[in-house]
Amino acid sequence: MAPAAAPACEGVPVSSRPAIEVHELTKEFAGGVRALDGVSFTVEEGEVFGFLGRNGAGKSTTVRILTTLLRPTSGTAAVLGHDVVGAPSAVRKVFGAALQDAALDELMTGREHLEMAGRLAGLGKPRSVERAAELLERFGLKAAADRIAAGYSGGMRRRLDVAMAMVRRPEVLFLDEPTTGLDPQGRRAVWDLVRSLRDDGSTVFLTTQYLTEADELSGRVAVVSDGRIAAIGTSQELKDRLGATTVRVRAAVGDEARFRAAAGADPLVATGDGWFEVTVGGGEAAVPGVVARLIGAGAPVDRLSIHPPSLEDVFVGLTGTEIESSAGGADDGRITAVRRGLGVPGGLGR
Amino acid sequence: MSPVAQVRLLLFRNVREGARNPVLAYALPVIIPLAVLVLVAKTLYRVTDLPGFPTRNYAEWMTPAIIMLTAMTGVGYAATSLVIDIQSGFLDRLRLLDVRPPALLLSRVLFDVVRVVPAGTVLLGVGLLLGLDINEGVGGVLLLFGLLVVWAGAYGGLYFVVALSTGNAQAPLALAPLFLPLQFLSTQFVPLSLLPGWVQAIAAWNPFTYMVDASRALTTGPLTFAPVAKAFAVALAMLAVTQALSLRAYKRAVGG
Repeated sequence: MAPAAAPACEGVPVSSRPAIEVHELTKEFAGGVRALDGVSFTVEEGEVFGFLGRNGAGKSTTVRILTTLLRPTSGTAAVLGHDVVGAPSAVRKVFGAALQDAALDELMTGREHLEMAGRLAGLGKPRSVERAAELLERFGLKAAADRIAAGYSGGMRRRLDVAMAMVRRPEVLFLDEPTTGLDPQGRRAVWDLVRSLRDDGSTVFLTTQYLTEADELSGRVAVVSDGRIAAIGTSQELKDRLGATTVRVRAAVGDEARFRAAAGADPLVATGDGWFEVTVGGGEAAVPGVVARLIGAGAPVDRLSIHPPSLEDVFVGLTGTEIESSAGGADDGRITAVRRGLGVPGGLGR
Repeated sequence: MSPVAQVRLLLFRNVREGARNPVLAYALPVIIPLAVLVLVAKTLYRVTDLPGFPTRNYAEWMTPAIIMLTAMTGVGYAATSLVIDIQSGFLDRLRLLDVRPPALLLSRVLFDVVRVVPAGTVLLGVGLLLGLDINEGVGGVLLLFGLLVVWAGAYGGLYFVVALSTGNAQAPLALAPLFLPLQFLSTQFVPLSLLPGWVQAIAAWNPFTYMVDASRALTTGPLTFAPVAKAFAVALAMLAVTQALSLRAYKRAVGG
């Protein structure tokens, strides 16, 4: 795991003007459905911020409010200092967005989409033509530029959609579930794209229901559940704070009883193949203590391996529900033993 | 970009798109009126032998009315496309580019109106081949197409209202047969004096009767002020009502 350490994000603001500032946002739909229930967070400029949650958690509602398409019931939200309710026009000039479904016109070519977006954005015809060519090149759509969108693959559609979002060189980019429904190739292309945006210093607000994606791409992650933020932090911070490290040990035959005695309060699970899993809180730092205790109790440790928590562990701990299987397949089935009520510690990530 | 330029750009998009879907966009408005014209001209022509029938050539009687009919068989495509624009998220994309939502509606309404012009032109050409005499000159024909365009906007508005208030892209198809009763309960096939009494009563309230009467005055003649003025008044009033309702349904559908 690449160290996603971004110490500047915590506490000390990087810039005097945050890219996105959301305070106590609520949204209630007709019929009393409460999609957002007091959401607050701040995204600094140059940050890739992941918004992780299941379907219906409130991700798209948040994006639609931030992109001025939906009015909040209460609370405030600002993009680069412009209030989304009070100054929607000013907000629209500074961000680009690729919403949940790639909003393409099946009978228009890729080039026509981009040129039209450029002209509607006020770039003028010659500049729009030029910008369209640049973006087609950058997003790997040059060969398909003059084919109609109906024949595009899922990945190509997404890339074109994101390219349209970038016509105006936005200062903040919203990507709402950019890889949902894509095949692995398409997903990889979108990931590469977000990484290159990150390297360029763009501010990206990325929603996803895929833990691996949030882990791979974002600096900080907000875990959202039932319209509330359950936790915010870098994925490493969340894992350290909320995850549980699993230690797998193999005992000599017949020593199970001694293992059980030595494990003490830490839950011990026999996996049935001669292995036991001990789940320890407090991250990898707690591992030596567990090992020392096992040895001290006279349980001969034959082999040992350490499995740091995944973001999925954190997610399950926070929301008590397993999310749909992760996108990248990086998890190798070690999601055992984490169904513990970790609760939601107060004041996280602020 | 000014709102006018936005509408123009979006209208251009619709025209170009139509060229990629030519059967639905451009051929459909022509097919039914063309079939009606050719079939009646070749099968029912002896109707002109009836005492009191004003013309000798039935095609000459039918063609002006059939040109007006293109407005009623051609509409619907734009309303369906508009619902798809809303549902696909294309409208949201436009809003993010700071395009006011009514610009999209207007571009679709204008396209509905624009595409009856080639359809009407084809039927005019066929009518001329079948022996239509234009007695009122180019000015009359231009006014005829002016009326056709207004009538297309007025009648097409119904399709937008249905499509937008149901949110169902296919719903306007249900309106398609409406042109049949409107056609038979008007003076399209025979003059008012040859219709049964009860049909005469209905025809007087049928807006299409006014379109038909004016279309003849503007082409075969004789050109008098009253039928033309009445037709424009009826079409413009209907345009105002149906398009106001369609704008209201649109605002409800897209949330302002």
